Amino acid sequence: MKDQTTATPELTLERVNTPPAQTWNYLRANDITLTVPQLSRKGDVYFALPRLFEGIECGVGPQATAWVVSQAADARYVEVRAGERKAEPIVVDVDANDGDVHDVGIMVRAGAEACVVVNVHGTDGEPATSGALVRIIAERGAKIRVLEFVAAGSAQQHVESVGIQAAQDARVSVRQYFLCAGTLVAGIATSLDGDGARIDHACRYLVREREVADINHVVRQRGRNTRADVRETGVLDGHAKKALRATIDLVHGSKGSEGTELESVLMLSDDVTNKTVPTILCDEDDVSGNHGASIGPVGPEQFQYLRDRGLTQQEAEALYVRALFDEALIAAPTPEVRANVLARARMVLGDDVANDLVEGLGLNEEGA
Amino acid sequence: MTPRTGGRKLCGADELVFYDITASFEERTIFTDILKKTAERVFIPLTVGGGINTLDDFARVLACGADITEDSADKRSLAGIFLSYQAPVEVPGVPLYSYLRTITQKRPELKMTARKFRARVGEIAEQLDMDSSFITRELNVGFSGGEKKKIEMLQLLLLQPKLAILDETDSGLDVDALSVVSRGIEAYRASCDGALLIITHNTRILERLSVDHTHVMVRGRLVAEGPGSLIDDIDAHGFEQFEVAAQAAGA
Repeated sequence: MKDQTTATPELTLERVNTPPAQTWNYLRANDITLTVPQLSRKGDVYFALPRLFEGIECGVGPQATAWVVSQAADARYVEVRAGERKAEPIVVDVDANDGDVHDVGIMVRAGAEACVVVNVHGTDGEPATSGALVRIIAERGAKIRVLEFVAAGSAQQHVESVGIQAAQDARVSVRQYFLCAGTLVAGIATSLDGDGARIDHACRYLVREREVADINHVVRQRGRNTRADVRETGVLDGHAKKALRATIDLVHGSKGSEGTELESVLMLSDDVTNKTVPTILCDEDDVSGNHGASIGPVGPEQFQYLRDRGLTQQEAEALYVRALFDEALIAAPTPEVRANVLARARMVLGDDVANDLVEGLGLNEEGA
Repeated sequence: MTPRTGGRKLCGADELVFYDITASFEERTIFTDILKKTAERVFIPLTVGGGINTLDDFARVLACGADITEDSADKRSLAGIFLSYQAPVEVPGVPLYSYLRTITQKRPELKMTARKFRARVGEIAEQLDMDSSFITRELNVGFSGGEKKKIEMLQLLLLQPKLAILDETDSGLDVDALSVVSRGIEAYRASCDGALLIITHNTRILERLSVDHTHVMVRGRLVAEGPGSLIDDIDAHGFEQFEVAAQAAGA
């Protein structure tokens, strides 16, 4: 999908990233509308995923999901056999400069273990729209780790959608590092279908200058004794705009389940726009749902602690930004991902700090 | 200026203020010798009103006994004062590694390459029986009370302050955690030429330490002082004797 010239027809996607339960329309927090290129695929023969994947709910919603499916040249299907521990990560590499669009389906059979890495990289160049759709089925007792790294250019738009179905006793771990893009639309929906299934989800984001990030997190807890722990921590600076919708849905039949969702937003500028919509839906007794959000500058207690160790307010704020890159680099599993994070660190933090990150982790410039 | 006799203030001023104590004569930038002599003679706080331009200036003034309580907490910290928290604050979004690296880089005397820094942190963590995975976890988030105190000790050993104030560091610790904290304090004494002020209700934390001076406070007032052996007396007879004496003195 490299040829995105002015002649490329466009499509407007409505109701992208819509949460299961909505708030007042006048808040303009219920969804986002996107204009995306629409390449014709008429006459092409391409590989589609097994129909089993069609039933998986994805974070960005049906319209945006259908757009990614229509634009991806070929779908990629990966199956991890029962009991297999897949050593190499399943990598979805998205070149935002080229407007790459990927559609990936992953079947992790019973008791198997796998790691999925989505690496979105782009530079400040021509405008382009990229997309990644990852749908995962984790069978009984499977363990799946999802790592997402997004660092696209300020003129670029990226749509990132993930859908996960987890069977009995499946373990899902998600780490998202949104280092950001001109416009990032990211949604993830996880359905804990089986008893005892769990998800541990952490999302870190940095949105700065005039970037826009629109994020939708949904966890449906359907099985008994399921656990969901969702934590988002982010930094907003400049004229950044960010919306996060996070929903814990304790569905009828999910007795004994617990769901927690907490967001902490650090606002470093008066000109940022933050929308946080945390929701708990509950149709079952004997369940526990918690959510909360902390939004504002560095908390007074935290600031006092950091100050007592020698940091000024500006340095304390800079620490939060550096911390995000440190964490992303530590989590980055391949040299390509590390190189992507480092390139963004160099742009945001400057060469001195980036070099310090490289040396601290014993890496070279290529992230190896 | 009030002469000091036997550790007691006789009369006179409450505060001595030096304004703009810079000088270019003989290439001296600060009259540290004056500060030093004054600190020897008087038992009152000194405030420095100017001439402090660099961190080294602060360190030298501090070493003379001047009062820097007017300064902001970050400047006091950089001047060499370390205050250990009784209940260390959780800082979500900041991994321990990033935090330690940032506060270390602020101190010119501790500047080292990132590689050496990691090795140094690893050494101290081992000394304190800390799991290496601590380093990637968020600062104090989800840590037990004992683990948080270990992180305080880690910072004490890493920053090597000139004065460390440990405010009830032993509160809420089990025997094992207390032993680790004591080891941290011992290591600080062995490796740093600094002073430790340990504030505690319980003498157990002091068992493994060689204490130079003991001060007893009752309701915010100093009521007794003595050598380290005073702790044995407190162990044998408790604090009640001091409370009774303080009440009698008050009456």
